[in-house]
Amino acid sequence: MDYFLQQLINGITLGGVYALIALGYTMVYGIIQLINFAHGEFFAAGGYMGVIIISYLAAQGVSPVLCIGLGLGLTMAYCALLAMAVEKVAYKPLRSSSRLSVLLSALGMSIFLQNGLMLTQGVYDKAYPTEMTAGGFEFGNVVLSYMQIYIVLITAGLLVALNLLVFKTRIGKAMRATAQDKIMSALVGINSNKIISLTFAIGAGLAAAAGIMVGFYYGSVNYSMGFVPGIKAFAAAVLGGIGNITGAMIGGLVIGMVEIFAAGYLSSEYKDVFAFIILIAVLYFRPTGIMGENVDDTRV
Amino acid sequence: MKRILALILVLAMTLAAASAFAETLKLGSMSPLTGPYAADGNDIANGVRTAIEVTKADGGIPGFDDITLSAQDTACDPRQAVAAANKLINDEVVAVIGAYCSSATLPASETLDEEDIMMLTPASTNEKVTERGLKNMFRTCGRDDDQSKAAVRFMKDFVKAKSIYLVDDKTAYSQGLADNVEKASPAAGIKVLGHDHVNQGDKDFSAVLTKVKAANPDVFYVSLQNSATGALLVIQAKRMGIDAVYLAQDAVYHPQLIEIAKDAANGMYLTFGYVDTEASSYQKFIKAYEPKYGKPGAYSAYAYDSAMAYLAAVKKAGSTDLDKVRAALLSLEIDGASKKFKYLENGDSGSNYIIRQIQNGEYINFWNAQTGEKY
Repeated sequence: MDYFLQQLINGITLGGVYALIALGYTMVYGIIQLINFAHGEFFAAGGYMGVIIISYLAAQGVSPVLCIGLGLGLTMAYCALLAMAVEKVAYKPLRSSSRLSVLLSALGMSIFLQNGLMLTQGVYDKAYPTEMTAGGFEFGNVVLSYMQIYIVLITAGLLVALNLLVFKTRIGKAMRATAQDKIMSALVGINSNKIISLTFAIGAGLAAAAGIMVGFYYGSVNYSMGFVPGIKAFAAAVLGGIGNITGAMIGGLVIGMVEIFAAGYLSSEYKDVFAFIILIAVLYFRPTGIMGENVDDTRV
Repeated sequence: MKRILALILVLAMTLAAASAFAETLKLGSMSPLTGPYAADGNDIANGVRTAIEVTKADGGIPGFDDITLSAQDTACDPRQAVAAANKLINDEVVAVIGAYCSSATLPASETLDEEDIMMLTPASTNEKVTERGLKNMFRTCGRDDDQSKAAVRFMKDFVKAKSIYLVDDKTAYSQGLADNVEKASPAAGIKVLGHDHVNQGDKDFSAVLTKVKAANPDVFYVSLQNSATGALLVIQAKRMGIDAVYLAQDAVYHPQLIEIAKDAANGMYLTFGYVDTEASSYQKFIKAYEPKYGKPGAYSAYAYDSAMAYLAAVKKAGSTDLDKVRAALLSLEIDGASKKFKYLENGDSGSNYIIRQIQNGEYINFWNAQTGEKY
């Protein structure tokens, strides 16, 4: 029982990280039908920017809570700007061309950003000040670290905030309208360019938050860290019904849990395979993904 | 105008002729400068650079006015390693220090051997590297089979372990080593509770570590090919509360293990070649290396020694002629930064694995695997 509980905690934590990254995929897809393969790189860039800012603040003697709060805020803002710049340079000029060229542009951007990180930050891992978030609870043999609690709480908080933004504000309304029909929404006075930029910014901000949390949770970041979680989060978005925010959350949790339970009970060697087997199985029976049915009203 | 032009031409020709007489000794290095093993790969290139700088500072090698290095990236990939070997052949190097991954060293050494270029590996520990009978293949580091013996002896004689759990990341090196330890354990009275494999590039080990914790082994053997990954695994294992003797190997050994894992790495044991930090040869190396490249990694000193050994052999032989250099190399007793050694006929240099421990953020020599005594 302890064993199962521990694996459940592990699965929820990992799932939360995937879910946060998946939100960016799903939002961007929802609004311009682009699979932004450079999204994983925002996650990596966030991890780096986070450690740079937080280490700097810590060295100035700022209290840990303020360090993390400021680091999180500044890093999310930085990645949001980065994503808007990427959108402007790599995707906007191609918006009217075929989807394939935008996809290739996204792949190219991913390689570019990854190499940019490598050249500016070096090939060595950067260590997070993990002592800031060390500790946790123990129930018998089950360990629940503070960081795991933070990941779940922050993920849930960001999801609630995002849902409020999308469904309760004028901006959210504009986003939903643009997702439904770019031309018609422009005709009624919505600046779709701004909305698209904003969508990229929000998605990248969430990925940046995930990057920092992963840095604290695992202990370090490196320049190639974005690739694998990026692919997994993409799978999570597809699993949940790409374009659907709640779907991305659920998809992320499912992928994270499957991965952990497959590694815990079957074989850690093939854990990645099981996650994708589930993906294929779900898509076979439900081509639109888990939450795919109401894709038209709720996608962003 | 024409006269000036002619003058310049004559001048240029004399200059060209002058530089054609002076010879340059061209060395090559091969290691993963990018990708997940880039930390170790750059250590190797920097080790060779240091050797060249030190040799030049000591007056260079008679007959050569310069020593240069062409550092190639193998990315730990067999195909790219062969491409890098061909690039070095084109660069007309006389010897190559490298590569890092045995899987890259093996094919690259065949390519170099065909062109009669000597290869000295500072880091490839697979037995096959020197067991193929290549005449120009030398190895400065130890061998996998010796390393696993040292690990098992430590578990049996010092830890007095009754059980072990192994985790590796499926590279030819890390899995080979873990398999060797697994095979030798029962004979030493150690029960193997499990042997799991993770993927290279994994960051989340919580599932595997939960398994290890449930098995509750005396020794947790960590065989990964990447020290940063090793750090992540150790952090998560300590957080999970795995109460065992942590034992790892030389690819996990790196300053960044301590930098990243910090307190979590304290008390961890690693099998590694014996280093006498008091020796003058080590002091000479560290004085040249540290100001420029920071703390040496696991293979910096081996790379430095490989290059120094080759350069010493060239000096002794008085030429870069392959047979002469080989004969000189085999006759030399080298007092290196990593160890005192003499290359054997098969190219090996003997292993000197000991157990090192991390104490208060530093690697210290802990247990001698030959004598079974603490340092």
